[in-house]
Amino acid sequence: MNFQGAWTLGHIRFMLEGFAVTLQVAVIAIILSFILGTLIGVLRYTRLPIVSPILAVIVETLRNLPLLLIIMFVYLALPELGIRLGVFYSAVVGLTVFEMAMISEIVRGGLMSVDKGQTEAARASGMTYTQTLWHIVLPQALVKMIPPTVSQFISLLKDTSLAVAIALPELMHNSQIIYNGNPSYINPILLLAALFYFVTNFLLSQVALLLERRLRY
Amino acid sequence: MITFEKVNKYFGTFHVLKNINLHIETGEVVVIIGPSGSGKSTLLRTINGLETITSGKLIVDGVQVNAKGTDLNKLRRNIGMVFQHFNLYPHKTVLENIILAPMKVLGLSRQEAEKIAREYLEKVGILEKINAYPSQLSGGQQQRVAIARGLAMRPKAMLFDEPTSALDPEMIGEVLDVMKTLAREGMTMVVVTHEMGFAREVADRIIFMDQGEIIEESTPDVFFKNPREERAQMFLKRILSH
Repeated sequence: MNFQGAWTLGHIRFMLEGFAVTLQVAVIAIILSFILGTLIGVLRYTRLPIVSPILAVIVETLRNLPLLLIIMFVYLALPELGIRLGVFYSAVVGLTVFEMAMISEIVRGGLMSVDKGQTEAARASGMTYTQTLWHIVLPQALVKMIPPTVSQFISLLKDTSLAVAIALPELMHNSQIIYNGNPSYINPILLLAALFYFVTNFLLSQVALLLERRLRY
Repeated sequence: MITFEKVNKYFGTFHVLKNINLHIETGEVVVIIGPSGSGKSTLLRTINGLETITSGKLIVDGVQVNAKGTDLNKLRRNIGMVFQHFNLYPHKTVLENIILAPMKVLGLSRQEAEKIAREYLEKVGILEKINAYPSQLSGGQQQRVAIARGLAMRPKAMLFDEPTSALDPEMIGEVLDVMKTLAREGMTMVVVTHEMGFAREVADRIIFMDQGEIIEESTPDVFFKNPREERAQMFLKRILSH
């Protein structure tokens, strides 16, 4: 182990550059997958004819594939169909569609867990299906969704490291470059990378706890 | 106000409501009693379309509930409902629980809706809890808020589905008192309950159901003193003997 040689300013800066890419990919994928996943989850919950069954097939397919395969598919197979996204957006798209499927299941489960009496009370007062969903069911489901959603986002942030397979210059990729030149750097560099991931995800889960406490009624 | 004509309902092959014929006048208080599983709640829930019927004709407030193209939402504004488990919205305060439907369904301004909310909270005796959340209230208080929530739509009739069955014994009285006041003021009420004292005191008419059928229909005096049907006699004996 060579801490002094490994933890130089240049190396740390190179790793931070990688971590910046990690965060960019993660943040974009989190936002997009949350929006799309919520939409899909709500649509599946409403049991619209045609739309809901199609979405069910898409979600089940995505959930049962390895994320690595999806990323490879977007990066290597889509170009053959004329869609060339480049490394960065291949990672974003791959992560987004996979996490979107996961989030949609969390949303659907959250909606279904709201007591049926709530819907009945709202409908009995003359509110429409949409008003009931928006004012009564969705707000209650959201609170229940926070913990599983956050752990899904934490998974997402960690899973950005899979994009190392398509040579996205994110944290793991840059770490590899540093220690590939010198095996005695492996331990210190991996330790530092672990610290980056841990601190970020730990903060994320703390924010979630605060949010959950704030929203509880 | 409410008319059932040869109404039948099946849950799959289970015949829940058997040839129901019933007419309820405006201002009448009708109490439905009977053993559990007799179809009382199902009957009540067909009135505002929470349950569909399989055959027959059901007319509420001049509208045929089971006809195609009936605007159930429009019908439901005129029919308040109180549930066994209160079903208050836990993420909303007492005030928000009450003003939601008047604002969203009737299109009242927040100011108007709040005025009505205060009026009815005062009536059910818990104006001081206006900013509390349901979880901070006792069962009896929650049910009184639920009644105020129903009244705030200024309905033509109120449905009560076992409103005291989920309450601790010491809280049943406060809810029944509110219901008695309503009955005295001339509200049309259909009440499913096991509270025989309430039925005897307040009902204009008792409907006794068993196995999906209306077995007996009479005034409380007649029903409690001289029930005609054997099944009603046995039910009363069981329920009043302890």
